[in-house]
Amino acid sequence: MATVATVDELIAAPVARAQVGLWQDAWRRLRRNRLALVSAGYLAVLAVIALVGIVYTPYPYAHEGVGLPYSGPGPGHLLGTDQAGRDIFSRIMIGAQISLIVGLATQAVVLTVGVPLGLMAGYFKGWIDTALSFVINVFYGIPDILVAMILIVIIGKPGLGTIIIAIAATRWMDMARLTRGQTLSLREREFVEASRSSGGRPAKILFGHLLPNALGPIIVQATLGIPAAILFEAFLSFLGLGVPPPTPSWGSMAADGIHAMRIAPHIVLAPAIGLSITLMAFNFLGDGLRDALDPRQRR
Amino acid sequence: MSAPILEVRDLHTQFFTDDGVVQAVNGVSFDLHEGESLGIVGESGCGKSMTALSIMGLVPEPGRVTAGQIRFRGEDLLRMRAEDVREMRGRDLAMIFQDPLSSLNPVLKNGFQIEEAILAHRDLPRRQAMERAIGLLRKVRVQAPEARARDYPFQLSGGMRQRTMIAMGLANDPAMLIADEPTTALDVTVQAQILELLRDLNRELNTAIIMITHNLGVVAGLCSRVIVMYAGQIVEEGSVDEIFERPQHPYTWSLLRSVPRIDALRHERLRSIEGLPPDLMSPPRGCRFHPRCPFRVDRCFSEEPPLEAFGEGRRAACWVTMETAYAEMGAADLVDVRPGAGSGVHGVTEKRVG
Repeated sequence: MATVATVDELIAAPVARAQVGLWQDAWRRLRRNRLALVSAGYLAVLAVIALVGIVYTPYPYAHEGVGLPYSGPGPGHLLGTDQAGRDIFSRIMIGAQISLIVGLATQAVVLTVGVPLGLMAGYFKGWIDTALSFVINVFYGIPDILVAMILIVIIGKPGLGTIIIAIAATRWMDMARLTRGQTLSLREREFVEASRSSGGRPAKILFGHLLPNALGPIIVQATLGIPAAILFEAFLSFLGLGVPPPTPSWGSMAADGIHAMRIAPHIVLAPAIGLSITLMAFNFLGDGLRDALDPRQRR
Repeated sequence: MSAPILEVRDLHTQFFTDDGVVQAVNGVSFDLHEGESLGIVGESGCGKSMTALSIMGLVPEPGRVTAGQIRFRGEDLLRMRAEDVREMRGRDLAMIFQDPLSSLNPVLKNGFQIEEAILAHRDLPRRQAMERAIGLLRKVRVQAPEARARDYPFQLSGGMRQRTMIAMGLANDPAMLIADEPTTALDVTVQAQILELLRDLNRELNTAIIMITHNLGVVAGLCSRVIVMYAGQIVEEGSVDEIFERPQHPYTWSLLRSVPRIDALRHERLRSIEGLPPDLMSPPRGCRFHPRCPFRVDRCFSEEPPLEAFGEGRRAACWVTMETAYAEMGAADLVDVRPGAGSGVHGVTEKRVG
């Protein structure tokens, strides 16, 4: 039995091609992009460091005086200590947690708000679209920092959740606009009409047909939104509007060190360099994804 | 003949554009009987596709059905709730489109898309739906249906894509299937296979088919009855044999004459219909075909000819039917102009009347 091919198999054999789905194809192209791969590797390491920070840091991150204040990098303290004698490497680990959580959670909020709104506005058009476009333009009209500050003040309770909501409030419009634009062009495609002609419900058409086709640009936009959110959090923390102390954020760590930049530049440099490399990594990865998911570059 | 399952009465579909109102469909009435195959032919922009989309309730913006009735099994679709019509689409009425590649979602597997069409109307476990999807693919003669169901649309050939579309159309055993130029995007050999498939399905499943096409050969091969449309109106109707043997409207006659024939004499030029279809925003006064009609008379310029019944299932809208025209031209009897028929009207010298 095992050796005898069925008629179907025989017929199928000559036309059988490698089953390369769209995602495998994109993955193959991403793998060829060295910069994106290195970035992904760096981000994986960063994620591991952040995860390890949950259970282990070399020193308790909030303890003052675990070393001499302002001491430079050395064997005892990998990245030195800050003005209060706290271990900077331990604080960088916790700061990495904050940055990654803010970056990912913000994009999660942005996706859950922006994508459905954009889909509905683009598909139904009419008053929904008009209303959404109006709100988007209002949000674009107000400076980001003002929106974030107003929200932080309104919510009143400082903390990670507040920061995430405040940042998401300044970032959801891009996602909604992108999804709306994608939907506007996709809704005219014939497969949407075909689905309608076979009795598809609007929800099915929106999430079953339009969303999968718009997923590429949405993923890219979300990836590129992560560094922007991280930077914005660092900025807010630098201004003292971020995560309340003693929880360290890369932004607040930089703010702490700014006074002693002459005598102990490592206090500023450690979080600043960490931030820069992380932002670059996310941007390179986002660019790599854009190239990989672009159907016009299909080979 | 059995009672009609679809009765279209005085259908008007208009597009409200910024430049004015386009009368895409203008007073179209016809019946479709159970298990029948009806052809609707005409040039691009004559309203045949819009008639189909009106029946499906899918007229795109800024168009709207402004008057008339579309009765499916006695119930007027235009007066039903949108949700009920959506429920009927895919279950009772199905439609397949011209370009199978753009009609399939490029990022979803074929089997999944057929499955979805099934699940839109039935409460089935996924596995059973998939089995049914594969069964449908087998029914439309896709070889190795299990493997093809796991493919993406871009991995299939054009003919297989159209078969997949047909499988989607048949997902819930609809009473009627509208095929809008289903073979236009395919090459000739595949066209023939798809037509044969449609013909067999029409017979085996007793699914009524409305075949929309500009290709008279397609109609001759598949349909029993033909409606000829021009500028949003029906200009002639009759059985395939009647239409090909005794066309009464000059437009039908011109269409038939512009079919390239393999048995044409070498010195004969292929005749096209001169001029362009009229602007449907301001159609010509009188008969809409008169600016292009070789047989027009004075009356054609001012009065619109009604669509009059004459004989068994025959209707035509013309002041100068071809019988009259031929009589006046003194030409020989009307001859069979079907592709492949012995001799055609190609030999008749063109004369102007009126």
